[in-house]
Amino acid sequence: MNLIRVPRSELTRRRFLQFSGISGMGFLLSGCGAPLFNDVVNNLSEPLNQKVETLLFNPQKPVPEFSKSDIKPKELLINTFKDTPIIDQAKYRLIVDGDVNNPLSLSMADIQALPLTSMIIRHICVEGWAAIVQWGGIRLREIVALAKPKANAKFAYFKSADGYYESWDIASALHPQTLLAYQKNGEPLPVDNGAPLRLASPIKLGYKQSKWVTQITLVSDLLPMKGYWEDQGYEWYGGL
Amino acid sequence: MDSTVPPKSRKLPTQAIGAKIFHSCNIISLFIMLTSGLQIYNANPVFGGRAGLHIPPLFTLGGWLAGGRHWHFAAMWLFSLNLLWYGIYILISRRWRHRFVNINDIKALQKTQNSKRLSYAWHRIVYTAIIPILLLALLTGIGMYKPAQFPWIVDAFGSWEALRIVHFSSVPSVILFVLIHRQLGRKAGGEQLTESMFW
Repeated sequence: MNLIRVPRSELTRRRFLQFSGISGMGFLLSGCGAPLFNDVVNNLSEPLNQKVETLLFNPQKPVPEFSKSDIKPKELLINTFKDTPIIDQAKYRLIVDGDVNNPLSLSMADIQALPLTSMIIRHICVEGWAAIVQWGGIRLREIVALAKPKANAKFAYFKSADGYYESWDIASALHPQTLLAYQKNGEPLPVDNGAPLRLASPIKLGYKQSKWVTQITLVSDLLPMKGYWEDQGYEWYGGL
Repeated sequence: MDSTVPPKSRKLPTQAIGAKIFHSCNIISLFIMLTSGLQIYNANPVFGGRAGLHIPPLFTLGGWLAGGRHWHFAAMWLFSLNLLWYGIYILISRRWRHRFVNINDIKALQKTQNSKRLSYAWHRIVYTAIIPILLLALLTGIGMYKPAQFPWIVDAFGSWEALRIVHFSSVPSVILFVLIHRQLGRKAGGEQLTESMFW
């Protein structure tokens, strides 16, 4: 007679693996697991992703543009990390310095005397939304050419009046559709969209396109501070 | 007809190592792709924008938009390379000729009264159909990741919004597929068959 039955352990190897899988998923999904692993995952994949992104990017090839009737003025949302800065347009100067042979200090009149480039492109935000916008302004490559960059200039830093900062690879900065824009949808650029001067480009995500740009510095190496959102954890390259 | 084999002598189902690796990588990569994708979705819901319905944090991965993107763009390699090698594998091993839906399954649907044969035919239709669905998820994903380099993908779907909706539709498609695939697999060979597909 066997009155006392000892239940056989139900925890087989397979059950254990199943449970560990499920609890592992729970840990990943829960708030405490995520930030820790975000960095690990990012450090693993980011170098590869950036290589592929750079490889896919053709610095000379223009992105196809849209027609005037495609413009959706209301779809362009306004994202700002802080407040809208107050800038006196008369006193405004764009400084171009760093690894250049001819540092510049340009007024808006100087900039607007240079050839205007207009483009109708899709502006894409990292959040997932997009809007077709017309931007008018000076090609960044023309400003850089005026400043006579040194051969070792590999990155461009952009400083904004609101404290925002960004950095771009030089190939993207010199793309023919990377503009310093002072026009939006055929009108003077509104202050909320970055007047007097902002970056606009179809080849980078919205957070790379600084508003209220006051200084462009060419450098040979990236600094520890790469950009406002990048320093919080966002991807640096942000190419499209 | 070999349906007379007594249940005692039925062997445990065995699978090719390729099928096991494919299934294991897929369940991990799709889990990460879906949960991190829903995290990205929350930054600006496809349906309704910022005012739209947000996915509860329980189902999202990455904690915030930047983290969700890290996971999504890391797991995309596991997901897509897994699909790629498996595609090559089923071509070389000629599994595509006898493991996926074929004319006999369509005939069975029309003629057979055998319920096992029917669910078998349905199952082959379902797991064959998921392949173009996964490839579509990949295509729409590339279109959203690199729209400036592949503008024809966005154009093919008509608009950015349409592209987003098609990409998002991978989430309900994959969840529905997993549920049906699991159910039909169980019907065909029980828990043992399902497990044999993973390890």
